Amino acid sequence: MPEGKICNKQPINTVEQLQLTLADKSGIKYYEEMEHLDVDTDKLWASIQKTMKSRTKTWLEICAHCGLCAESCFLYQVNGKVPTQVPSYKIQSTLGEMVKRKGKVDNAFMRHAMEVAWSQCTCCNRCGMYCPHGIDVGVMFSYLRGLLYSQGFVPWELKIGSGMHRIYRAQMDVTQEDWVETCEWMAEETEEEWPGLEIPVDKKDADIMYTCNAREPKHYPEDIAEAAILFHVAGENWTVPSEGWEQTSLSMFAGDWECCKDNVQNVYNAIERLNPKRCIGTECGHAHRATVIEGPYWVGREDGLPPRPYIHYVEWLAEALRTGKLKIDPAKRIKEPVTLQDSCNYVRNHGLKMITREIIEYIVEPGYFVEMSPNREHNYCCGGGGGFNGIGKFRPQRNVALRKKMEQIIDTGAKLVIAPCHNCWDAIRDLEEEYHIGIRWSFLKPLIISMLEVPEHLKPKEEE
Amino acid sequence: MFKKILLATTGSTASFGAARVAFDMAKRYGSEVTVFHVLGVPTKAYSQIVNDVRTGEEVEVDEDYRSWVEEEIRTTYAKQLEGLDNVRIILTTGVPSREILREARSIDADLIVMGASSGNSANYYRGYPGSTFQKVAKAAGCPILTVHRESASYWGGFSKILFGTDFSKQSLSAFLFALKTARELDCELTIFHALDISGKVLDQNEIEENLIAVRERIRSTYSPLMGDFKNYDIEVWEGAPYVEIVKLAREKQVDLVVLAHHTRELDPEKARIGSTVEQVIVRANCPVVSVSKPEKV
Repeated sequence: MPEGKICNKQPINTVEQLQLTLADKSGIKYYEEMEHLDVDTDKLWASIQKTMKSRTKTWLEICAHCGLCAESCFLYQVNGKVPTQVPSYKIQSTLGEMVKRKGKVDNAFMRHAMEVAWSQCTCCNRCGMYCPHGIDVGVMFSYLRGLLYSQGFVPWELKIGSGMHRIYRAQMDVTQEDWVETCEWMAEETEEEWPGLEIPVDKKDADIMYTCNAREPKHYPEDIAEAAILFHVAGENWTVPSEGWEQTSLSMFAGDWECCKDNVQNVYNAIERLNPKRCIGTECGHAHRATVIEGPYWVGREDGLPPRPYIHYVEWLAEALRTGKLKIDPAKRIKEPVTLQDSCNYVRNHGLKMITREIIEYIVEPGYFVEMSPNREHNYCCGGGGGFNGIGKFRPQRNVALRKKMEQIIDTGAKLVIAPCHNCWDAIRDLEEEYHIGIRWSFLKPLIISMLEVPEHLKPKEEE
Repeated sequence: MFKKILLATTGSTASFGAARVAFDMAKRYGSEVTVFHVLGVPTKAYSQIVNDVRTGEEVEVDEDYRSWVEEEIRTTYAKQLEGLDNVRIILTTGVPSREILREARSIDADLIVMGASSGNSANYYRGYPGSTFQKVAKAAGCPILTVHRESASYWGGFSKILFGTDFSKQSLSAFLFALKTARELDCELTIFHALDISGKVLDQNEIEENLIAVRERIRSTYSPLMGDFKNYDIEVWEGAPYVEIVKLAREKQVDLVVLAHHTRELDPEKARIGSTVEQVIVRANCPVVSVSKPEKV
């Protein structure tokens, strides 16, 4: 069978196709069709020749198979240290093999490669730091995912996720109307407690344009309200765009390069349209990576930067605390052991390791902050990164992957984990559901709000 | 005034009392009922997996599962659904409190009826107002009616309403709702304030002076709002508010308690100790309506 009805080489571009794919319970039919999907070897080889740049070629060639990357990979550590989980093996046996055979690979090979690419690597890029040659397997796996995607070998949920991005320009079926409506709703719900609070949509020339993760309007709209409260208290002149508000990119993890570009262009268009002084993204790791770190290259910006300065939420928060825009009531600081999850996508990928610790200094009573070991750029992936969290087929493997984070958290003795990344937050919630270690987890926003020193004029007027 | 009732249910026994009241009200007042059930929070990214409310097991939300759950709801409430034609069953996924608020807003509900808790937590939590109730009560624009235990008194509809006040802004909304209900359903209304003297050392004279002052305050605050409504009385007792409300409700055979909800604490562990509403819900043997916003009263 050249192509299946659900599992094929075509991206999901229509609502009908999306619904057809969604209706396939657990992707059972999808994966059945995948077993018979033809590999277009000519196209695959042509694509490799066209897109594989010298860096990847060099990396594949100079890898000495020394195995020094092995211990760097948390998946190697939690999976009994089997040789098949060594990063260099994982990439050499998939992408390396594909190149060596000049794209002449069969269906079984592609399905195996898919399994390795999405269940044995979270693209956390930790191995890259430990390789004596600086070879980053995570980067190469991202590349491999793109090749696999173009041939239709992609996990069901990520095919849907990238389809969502293509149709709704959001990782979930949140339409522009839904989004604007949610902003109005949250403003209504919050303004009583915070008089004067607004969520301005499409305000031109504001100081800040705020973008978020579609999970927020879809399931956790209070996150938007919390962002609004903090901007309000800090006295910021801010706005959200009606179009181009969604900053995440499941398409990046699906390997849908075309869609990645479209998404980030959509956000950049909003920036050009509204002309804010700068942009702030929500507490999300991969959204930052997609829009700020990799995005500029996807849309071909020569300076490698977004159209305006674009910072992560933790950077704004630290700045607001540092400059006194937000003040913490010292009596309300956290007085229990607390630890911090470093998100790979903005710590290892963007060096934002100290900024979160600066925030910690403001909100945690000295002596109560316990670092995970290792931490900062050496920290391990939450266990569910790179799309791993959402893939039902690989759920058992994901649950094993969570063990590393579980051990790290248990070792700190902390019951509260601060996780300023949606995916880490989800993974930590899942690990509690799976392993019941008795922890709580939180974004920074609700924590900060609970300990704010609110200026008198911003408080609601109580009659009593 | 109860044109649109949103019955938020887990389908478990903990919500049976609430369901019974909702369906009874619908029959009596010709309301439209939306039976609303949240299947669970879908896990991460774009997966459709939720934990089944009853079994706790991971299930995939598809058409089969949806129709199975809908069938379960129909079977559970089969008797009460008889003769009701204005009922819709809506299933969705997400965080329960958030989805209840979303639906209430989208259908412009006049009343949300829900159990105090999901009933699947540990035994000693049974009936305690859970986090879903706390969050809905805090943010909803309409009153929320909850029933902790079923009792015979209200099966014939509402005839006596007890409104407890602490003179807050939210209490005014609650009062307006109580008054409107009393008017429309032709009920007797008792306006009540419990003078909280816990932790204070007062002599009898002082207590009585305070009681008189409060009585006066109730008159001056609420009487001007009542117009020609005469079927009310005022009670002022001293004691812990929730205890006195429950006592008075029992003594007067009240079948609806109306209170304002204005705790800001969303952590149920903390909120449940402090809030009068929650304590009353646990202890009262009639439905309790909590009102916090003026929009729908």
